[in-house]
Amino acid sequence: MAEFNVRSDSVDVEQIMRQIRARIREKRGADYTEQELQQLASVKLEKFLDPRGVRSDLVDQFRRHRVVSPEPPKYEFEDTTLYETHRGPLRFIRKLLHPILKLFINPNPLIHALHVQKQVNDEFHKRFRQREEMDPLYYEVVHNLVVEITRLGIEVHNLRMRAESLSSRMDFDERRGRSLESVVQYRPQPSPQQQQQPQGQRGPRGDHRPSAPAPAAAPAGNHTASPAVSAPADGNGGTAPVIPAPSPAGPGGAPQQGNRHEGGGERRRRRRRRRRRPGQNLADSPGSAGTAGPIGAGATTRTEGTAGTADAPGGPDFDNDGPDGDDGPDDNGAADQ
Amino acid sequence: MKLAVVVQRYGADISGGAELHARYVAERLARHASVEVLTTCARDYVSWRNELPPGAEQINGVTVRRFLVARPRDTNDFGRRSLLVFERPHSIADELKWLDSEGPASFDLVRHITRVKADFDFFVFFSYRYYHAWHGARAVPEKAVLVPTAERDPAIGLGIFGPVFRGVRAVMYNSFEERALIQSVSGRQGPGVVVGVGSAIPERTQPWRFRKKFHVKRPFAIYLGRIDENKGCRQLFAFFERYAVMYPQGLDLILVGSKHLEIPRHPRIRHVGFLSDEDKFDGLSAADVLIMPSQFESLSMVALEAWALGKPVLANGRCDVLRGQCVRSNGGLYYLDFEEFAEALYALEGTGPLGAILGANGREFFKRHYTWPVIERKYLEMFERLKREPAGAAPDPLPGFFARRKRTLPPGREVMNTAPAGPVLR
Repeated sequence: MAEFNVRSDSVDVEQIMRQIRARIREKRGADYTEQELQQLASVKLEKFLDPRGVRSDLVDQFRRHRVVSPEPPKYEFEDTTLYETHRGPLRFIRKLLHPILKLFINPNPLIHALHVQKQVNDEFHKRFRQREEMDPLYYEVVHNLVVEITRLGIEVHNLRMRAESLSSRMDFDERRGRSLESVVQYRPQPSPQQQQQPQGQRGPRGDHRPSAPAPAAAPAGNHTASPAVSAPADGNGGTAPVIPAPSPAGPGGAPQQGNRHEGGGERRRRRRRRRRRPGQNLADSPGSAGTAGPIGAGATTRTEGTAGTADAPGGPDFDNDGPDGDDGPDDNGAADQ
Repeated sequence: MKLAVVVQRYGADISGGAELHARYVAERLARHASVEVLTTCARDYVSWRNELPPGAEQINGVTVRRFLVARPRDTNDFGRRSLLVFERPHSIADELKWLDSEGPASFDLVRHITRVKADFDFFVFFSYRYYHAWHGARAVPEKAVLVPTAERDPAIGLGIFGPVFRGVRAVMYNSFEERALIQSVSGRQGPGVVVGVGSAIPERTQPWRFRKKFHVKRPFAIYLGRIDENKGCRQLFAFFERYAVMYPQGLDLILVGSKHLEIPRHPRIRHVGFLSDEDKFDGLSAADVLIMPSQFESLSMVALEAWALGKPVLANGRCDVLRGQCVRSNGGLYYLDFEEFAEALYALEGTGPLGAILGANGREFFKRHYTWPVIERKYLEMFERLKREPAGAAPDPLPGFFARRKRTLPPGREVMNTAPAGPVLR
């Protein structure tokens, strides 16, 4: 989660807000403008399209309960309606007395209003019918939208989980890489004689070291050498990377360089290290080669002292990266965390 | 020195922002001068009904003289007139009718001010937008000191207020943003100082007492004030519900104040009602952070109280004043949308390093600018300065009968929108 670089008491709120905004941008991938956000916010479909709030059998329910409203009673209203009767003489008398009636009241506005009302009713009924016919279509559309949204929601959820998983893996890799970088050591360029060291040479302890290709040499003329992460498989055919370390100067003052072998002696040393108490490095153990310094003169690629450094808490255990399946990235990662 | 504090409502139990501000200032200035409060008999700021008896009384050692309001506010009429003057071209006569309609129209109060003008050295008028301040400041411009408590709302753009802002002797601003706004819309050049207001902060608070009394176990953010849509509470609830989903182990939200809005039923939102000052300060000191969601504030006293107690503030960034104060004090963060709200609230949780640092900065800011000795000194220095300096020109007289009725004034909102926006950062 958010990590703010609060370095001292003199914090700057604007800077913190910039950090917060940067984190938000990082999280959502793309930065929306305020206008875009307003547009998104104005689409108030969220509640309606919430799949949890919509019945799955919405359309069926709707069809089942669909009731076609009965047609309202119709009536006609014309200028003669007020005087209509099935009796002919009466109709005549009414028409005859119409001017007298108009002396008392003016029925024309009333007639007009009712005539207009009749037209309005007809129009309204027509529109209402159209609306009723359209409703099933709307519900179909809404239903389809809800289904689509649900599908998209699930997809988004899956993608989010994948993204989180990838993100955590990337974080882990990044941390591991950083911890490797912090302990990487540089190997001075080996002299040609050392490079041509006879294969199958016995170590100082009499270990028979099987032949193995020499680690990749640094570019010529580069005494500091590149990080030696290009080491090939060790003698046992393992594929784990070997990070050669610069050996302390040998008795002759020249850095000792040789092949790294995974012989029986190496395995024994590894076992000894595993038995060592936590927090105790190789230099602390009695008779450690690290304290002896140039024990591996002319034979070992790295001294025990260097190995002790690599075994320090928080650092990766390169020796455990061997072919014996003792690879422990999780250990290192956990230690780094 | 004899001072009159003129405010629309006044009382020990009246807790409106400007009214409380006026009471605090009156009680504090009473230590240095003879202070009399002139106010109305109203208690309710919506209707301005006469609920308190007219005449003089003593409140916390200050003489308070109340005057009857001529008529209560007709809310329909006020709404209609507000729509006219805020949204459409209108005349000065329309604005004056709007002012009458807004109230509290107390003719007795204005007459009294004119009558006792010679008895006082200065009249301190609170809240520029009300009847008493406009008419009172025009009645005694050479002795008028205005505490405008102006917010960024369309009323600031009305034409009748410009002459008052320019005509009073001094303006005591609450914030730099308020000063920029008023100077922009009125062109005022005269004496003025950003003062604000202090608060009665207890020397010792007991957070555990609040937690015990209200059975609060989890860390929480607090909101203090009226729970009202106008205060941004609806948005706060919406944001907090989303935040609670994002951070299940995050802060709870405790609401303190009277409820004017439905509070959502949520296991992490709790309303504890209106509290005494003691409980309020205990709660504030127990909280990890104070949230101020209001968009319209001329000065948030609650934010100042939080800073005084060393608590960080999370403010609505759309309120220029709050945002400016957060930036200037380095005592709080602000948000413009939900993402910023969630991230900032997460950052301010008590377990993180940021909250304590911002809180400490806020405390320093409060000590430097808002403690009572500082505020009293600013007022007294201003009075001394005004005594030394001659009075300026009186406010522009109102135009004639026909000119007053010409609908040539732009809508208030339009004028407000032309004023510079944003916080004054440094």
